Amino acid sequence: MRNNSLYITFFLGFIICLTLFILNLSIGSVEIPFHDILARLSGKPLLKTSWETIIMEFRLPKAITAILAGINLSISGLQMQTFFRNPLAGPYVLGISSGAGLGVAIMLMASSAFGWGIYFGELGVWSIIISAILGAILVLLLISLTAWRVRDSMTLLIVGLMFGSAVSAIIAVLSYFSGAEQLKLFTVWSMGSLGGTSYLQLWGFLAASILGIFPVILMQKSYNAMLLGEAYAESMGINIKRLRWGMILSTGILAGGTTAICGPIAFIGIAVPHMARLVFKTGDHRILLPGSAIAGAIVLLFCDAVSQLPGSAQTLPINAVTSLIGAPMVIWLILRRNFSREF
Amino acid sequence: MEKTKSILKAEKISIGYRKGNKKKVVAENLSFQLTKGKLTCLLGPNGVGKSTLIKTIMGQIPTLHGDILLEEKPLTSFNLQELSKITSVVLTEKIITGILTVRQLVELGRIPHTGLLGRLSKYDLEIIDKAIDATNIQYLTEIRLNELSDGQLQKAMIARALAQDGEILILDEPTAHLDLVNRLEIMHLLRGLAESENKAILITTHDLEVAIETADIFWLMQCGMPLVIGMPEDLIINQQMDLLIPGKGLVFDPISGKIVQKDKKCNIPVSGPQIQVKWVKAALAKKGFSQNLQNMEIEVVGEPFSIFLKEKEGTNTFQNIESLVDFLQLHKT
Repeated sequence: MRNNSLYITFFLGFIICLTLFILNLSIGSVEIPFHDILARLSGKPLLKTSWETIIMEFRLPKAITAILAGINLSISGLQMQTFFRNPLAGPYVLGISSGAGLGVAIMLMASSAFGWGIYFGELGVWSIIISAILGAILVLLLISLTAWRVRDSMTLLIVGLMFGSAVSAIIAVLSYFSGAEQLKLFTVWSMGSLGGTSYLQLWGFLAASILGIFPVILMQKSYNAMLLGEAYAESMGINIKRLRWGMILSTGILAGGTTAICGPIAFIGIAVPHMARLVFKTGDHRILLPGSAIAGAIVLLFCDAVSQLPGSAQTLPINAVTSLIGAPMVIWLILRRNFSREF
Repeated sequence: MEKTKSILKAEKISIGYRKGNKKKVVAENLSFQLTKGKLTCLLGPNGVGKSTLIKTIMGQIPTLHGDILLEEKPLTSFNLQELSKITSVVLTEKIITGILTVRQLVELGRIPHTGLLGRLSKYDLEIIDKAIDATNIQYLTEIRLNELSDGQLQKAMIARALAQDGEILILDEPTAHLDLVNRLEIMHLLRGLAESENKAILITTHDLEVAIETADIFWLMQCGMPLVIGMPEDLIINQQMDLLIPGKGLVFDPISGKIVQKDKKCNIPVSGPQIQVKWVKAALAKKGFSQNLQNMEIEVVGEPFSIFLKEKEGTNTFQNIESLVDFLQLHKT
């Protein structure tokens, strides 16, 4: 893709993202007209003070959460697909989100057992984020250990699926033995939602996202080399061990952090990198990484807008919407059967 | 002379794998050197340890005994990054990515030389263009890898290795899976590159005939023996090519430069124009008639092609080799 059309595509992506962002502030159980929000941005106060509260307390954090979650999940998906050289890899498919869930479950159960009052307050935010990240990293470690032994991409997926089920089973056992209060907390968390994020959580989320994305910027070149496989990458001076750790830490922080805040969200991580490849028609990670990030933000903002069921007071769970959009996309990709040819 | 300087040298090394305290020796007592500007072919039967030797020279596996010297320094004293600037490779591993264009693939070769973000300098772009020119793939640069034929892909991979701009180029079976024309093309390309770019090129191959035609130096590897090294023509004259053939029944024919079946030479006198005689003999040898057929003579005429089989009982005439062979099969065995 030529440089000019590349800039135009990114610019268009940015415009779409911005439009969806404002749309998300506008729709919901209380409709706030689009032009009013635009006017608010230019400094004019809104017609009603309640609108101000709705936007600042609920919709703005929610929209920012959607953007961050979209970016994080897509970038972890892209990293996993390149590292495992598997077009079907993604944080949800390979059980990373379940691992994060296990971390949160253990955290919540342990906190009740030891009588810590967490989940609310600054300590709570960080403990949830960190335990989710640790859970995600644990599963990633197991997966890359397996990937190192068996180099077959189908086996890797099956193993990921098994890890996912095993982890879910452990969570089920934990819930069985836990008190009603913790169970409720965990169940609410696991249903997943972009909303209900406090500013405190948002800051933690932002910090985790930056922390997770930073190493990716340093590893772009290594990921490009990985397109040819480990042996070639090594012959080009890439330290595979270091890259593996970088990938595990970055993906763990991004996917784990996102799961901590929003609960498990399916299909963004696996589908968005493929969308980016289709749009940008390249394998170069210097383009694909920002491309997937912006595409991820757009897709999750769009899914969130759909989940609001415009014109109704009801809200669909975000995980259901992403699955409804993502699953057909993955099936379509498989039916085209040119995964390996366009990967 | 700068041109014939050896860049990599090894004296009596053992290669193999280490697992804990156990060593599995694959080959020992190997001595060799790689010289700039020369195309070296490593030949040997499957399973003799060619890949292990290649990986050892690439620095991926340590030697079990002895040191490989790269530019007079032990190979182990180089780190991955330094090594990647000296040695570049084309492996047998299949490339699964298809979305890159040929140009982007060749650009990947500059990875060891670029900064953290992989930005290509003017010099890098020059080297990339040079690599593309040297492999004659200018017309392919904007084509995606998934649209290339095997031969084109192999050339693109060679261009990528060239762009890495090391002094040593190692290729593991670059001509496997290629058709005859592509095999010849790739080997002649490599032979040309060794000279024009002054690189030390090492390849493994099973393609004996093409290798004899193109290689400067042969390394013959055989189980439990040191490497036999020399110019292929010298090795043929010294009757060392048979090292490649561990089994009975086959033998290297120094006249044709091919591996042929033992005892399957045509002993019947055949006279006539050179080409026709060669192929009549080849057909008879293939069918293994040589022992049973005695007291006969064959005369071939070129225009129009006909074969006269002269025996005591009389002369038979054939219009093509097939009918001759059918006749002999029917009446003489």
